[in-house]
Amino acid sequence: MSSMILRTANGVIFPLTLLFALYMALKGHNAPGGGFIGGLVAAVALVLYRMSHGREAMGRLMPIHPRMLVAFGLTLASATSVIPLIFGLPLLTSRAPYVNFGVGEPVHLPTAMWFDLGVLFVVIGVSVGMIVRLGEEVDES
Amino acid sequence: MSPVWMVMIAVLAPVTLGLVTLWLPRTWIERRMAIAVAGPLLSFILLIATAINVGGPLGTGGFGQDDGPGEHAKPQAAAVEHLTTGVLNWMPSLNINFAFLTDGLGLFFALLVSGIGVMIFLYARGYFGKAGPTSADDLYRFYPTIGFFTTAMLGVVLADYTLLTLLFWEMTSISSFLLIGWDRYDKKAVKLAMQAFFTTGLGGMGLFGGVLVFGNATGYWRWSEMLANTSELQEMMLSAGDHPQLLWAFVLMFIGAGTKSAQFPFHYWLPGAMAAPTPVSAFLHSATMVKAGVFLVGRLFPVFAALPLFPQLIIPFGAVTMLYGGIVALQQHDLKRIFAYTTVSQLGLLMTMYGLGAIKYAHGDHTLAAIDFDVTQIANHAFYKAPLFIAAGAIGHVLSRDITQLNGAFKKHPAICGTMMLAALGLAAVPGTISFQAKELFLYSIYHAASVNPWLWLVMAMTIVTAICNVAICVRVWTTLMGWKGGMTEADGHHHGHDHHHEHAHEHGLLANLIWLPGLAIVSLQFLGGFFPGLFWGNLFGAFEQPATAGNYFGETGVPNLWYVITHAFSSIPFWCSMLALGLGVFVGLSKLWRGTVKDFADNIYPAMYWLAVTGGGRCFRLVQTGNLTHYLLFVLFALLTGFGWSVYEDPAMWSALSLNSGEAARFFEYWPGMLLGLIVCLTAILIPMTEIRIVRVVFLGACGFAVVALYLVYQAPDLALTQLMFEIISVILFVIVLRLLPKEKSTKDTGKLWRVPIAVAVGLMFGWMTLIAVEGNRGEFSNPGAEPLGVTLAQHSYGLEADEFGNPVLDTAMSKDPDVGTRGGGGKNIVNVILVDFRGFDTLGEITVLGLAAMGVWSMLPHRRRKNDPKRKVETDYPACAIDPLEHQDAKGVTA
Repeated sequence: MSSMILRTANGVIFPLTLLFALYMALKGHNAPGGGFIGGLVAAVALVLYRMSHGREAMGRLMPIHPRMLVAFGLTLASATSVIPLIFGLPLLTSRAPYVNFGVGEPVHLPTAMWFDLGVLFVVIGVSVGMIVRLGEEVDES
Repeated sequence: MSPVWMVMIAVLAPVTLGLVTLWLPRTWIERRMAIAVAGPLLSFILLIATAINVGGPLGTGGFGQDDGPGEHAKPQAAAVEHLTTGVLNWMPSLNINFAFLTDGLGLFFALLVSGIGVMIFLYARGYFGKAGPTSADDLYRFYPTIGFFTTAMLGVVLADYTLLTLLFWEMTSISSFLLIGWDRYDKKAVKLAMQAFFTTGLGGMGLFGGVLVFGNATGYWRWSEMLANTSELQEMMLSAGDHPQLLWAFVLMFIGAGTKSAQFPFHYWLPGAMAAPTPVSAFLHSATMVKAGVFLVGRLFPVFAALPLFPQLIIPFGAVTMLYGGIVALQQHDLKRIFAYTTVSQLGLLMTMYGLGAIKYAHGDHTLAAIDFDVTQIANHAFYKAPLFIAAGAIGHVLSRDITQLNGAFKKHPAICGTMMLAALGLAAVPGTISFQAKELFLYSIYHAASVNPWLWLVMAMTIVTAICNVAICVRVWTTLMGWKGGMTEADGHHHGHDHHHEHAHEHGLLANLIWLPGLAIVSLQFLGGFFPGLFWGNLFGAFEQPATAGNYFGETGVPNLWYVITHAFSSIPFWCSMLALGLGVFVGLSKLWRGTVKDFADNIYPAMYWLAVTGGGRCFRLVQTGNLTHYLLFVLFALLTGFGWSVYEDPAMWSALSLNSGEAARFFEYWPGMLLGLIVCLTAILIPMTEIRIVRVVFLGACGFAVVALYLVYQAPDLALTQLMFEIISVILFVIVLRLLPKEKSTKDTGKLWRVPIAVAVGLMFGWMTLIAVEGNRGEFSNPGAEPLGVTLAQHSYGLEADEFGNPVLDTAMSKDPDVGTRGGGGKNIVNVILVDFRGFDTLGEITVLGLAAMGVWSMLPHRRRKNDPKRKVETDYPACAIDPLEHQDAKGVTA
């Protein structure tokens, strides 16, 4: 599957795709996008990297097991949903404030964004983890 | 300090200080003990203070003995009000709050638990010792665990909210499980601990049900409310036919009380629990755990005694338990087992006592309940049973716990044996112990109740037989330990008990003597009470007696003194019954009869139930979980179809979503790109099951998915299209990988699949229909007339949160013009995302959890079997990525490294 062309092209594609994925995830609340789609885009980028550069390079790029991403994502999402309980609000209550950073326009920063980021990490972890693991199995068989 | 906090601290002190000891170094044994003992001691002092407080049983406002039975409801309600502490809100909507009922019964039990707790905490130091190989370790674990148990027990007896009682009740089950299964590596002990846990846990379920039924039927969720409305509730009880809930509440609660208090045939867990170290046995089986059931019945007694079922249910169970426990106890050799079965017997007696109390006998011009001084009965048992266990554990340390091995042990260990022999006098109810008066009172109860119902003479006979057994055991203990003629010897057979046995080197000094001193301290109360019933016992415990039970026969004198019983009793039947029991008991004890051991048939009940549950459960499991994916899928689809069919049947207006007006029909072909793509989707979907070759199916599935992507694009949903596209890519990659791992396809033609076609068609049509309903929700005459189409609702509500709250500008949108909309919604403009993270955020949370679980499944089913795949080692290799997988290369490296 690996080819010189793909590898070279991926040098440009990969960071751009990841950036796009992050953009998608953060922008999601008010524009097309969201954590799920961002996660899928990032997962595709990572899988493409795995295809073009091989398992070793993948191991160097992502030295942690993908289950850490799943755990982190789930923790983030659950924490975001539970925090309103502390203030006596129902589970998953969200606020959508516009935060003024002093420069430019106020930024739409919904609390749901953190939840969405949790989704992002879970999706990346699950997709990449499954594909990489099954890919190893194929390599070894 | 307000009373509620005082009691709260008293309840929590043992576990808190027990946990504090965890931070001490393991070798600090004395300091550990001092801190741990401070827990129950603090509880004891605080509870005494509560009792003396105005309104408490020892205070001025409480109801003590002087309240006659003719007391009216009104002052009683006020008195109950006095006895409850304030309320600390916890979960008011669920009727669980912290409030405590410090009436006589509850406070008496609490004082008993904390007082004996102090003794047991001290005894544990003597029992586990200092020099043993595991002593420090045992004590390290012991104090927090028994502190937890003490707290749970104090909570049970003091809690005012019924559900709070239940909560503590379950905590006693859990903590006793930990204590009984003390030897973690002894499989037998763990099994016995589970037996106790499941049996009492079953009872906990019963109590839970009973509390809920009672609360729902009457609206009372506090014991104090129940007691304050005694007369009203008794009216309801008397007409129980109209209130079957009360009947069920009682039956369920009795299941809880009966299992906890080891009533036949659920008594098996109690002798089994002897696997615990002796401090645990002495605590759990004398004063606390097993008395919880008796306590519960005592708590229910003032109200539920009016229920005709109350004596009918309790007396038979109690009497049979009493007799059975006594007879089995006589034929045991292990001291702890002997005392365990006498405990079972005594618990039966206490239950019977409350059962008899429900029977009213004629007394002059009014009727009286056939019960007198119930607290005395309960205290009496604790004050001889705890020393018996303590001494049994101590003698097991130095010699043996097998009574046949102990002939003449008194000469070697006079202190331990003396304690045991004194306590055994209490067991036999010899005159001079408070036990004698207590047994007299019980016989009077039967005597009076039998004047109403002659069948109860049978209970009298059973009591005499039980008393004979108890006396015989006492005689055997005395003759054996003293080495007199007639004692038990090895000739009577040797029994190998499988119980906790703790070894440690012999010690000297005060701390070592803690192995018997607490027992002596407790048993001295027996004799003080026996000889000075009025001066000592009456002043100490009289105030705790329940007004409904105190002073029914001996109202003027309090607990009768020895002289009174003997001089006034020559003409009375109960006195001669007890003399008969004493005489026959001495005869049986000295004779050669019944000296072997018997096996309790009830020991088989739990294993049988366990077997039934495990095998039966396995059968059911295999019935439901076939392991065949097709079955699961069919089941889910069938449920879905049934549910949808039901809702269509319920709401015929759903049919209207299918109607099509002419205007829409005319515009049908305006959407030709969509129509075309839809046709492609259908076509590829139909083609999938047509072929047998997996890879072709994947291709069709992919084609179907990409057609959907195009469909989204045509209808201007770029983000959906992108999501679907990414999803298709990932799923196709996954499929391709998995297909390579799957075994070779079978070429056999499966012909049994045709019947799946109608199911597939039905499900497909159903989903189409559901989509139409969602989109066209406002058409037709729906049951909810104001309903808007789902899409419109979501669009309106997705944006327009109170963005103003943080002092930021509110964005002017068409949607938020509606003032009503402004307070709802997720605050985002992307409807899809707002649906995902806000409207059904909980669903999303569940979905990502499922995703994580699925991945976890892949990782656990396909573990890294080969070490060389460990990424940590792979990182070191630095050859360029290449198409050929460098496994062999790496192998070589691994070998050289």
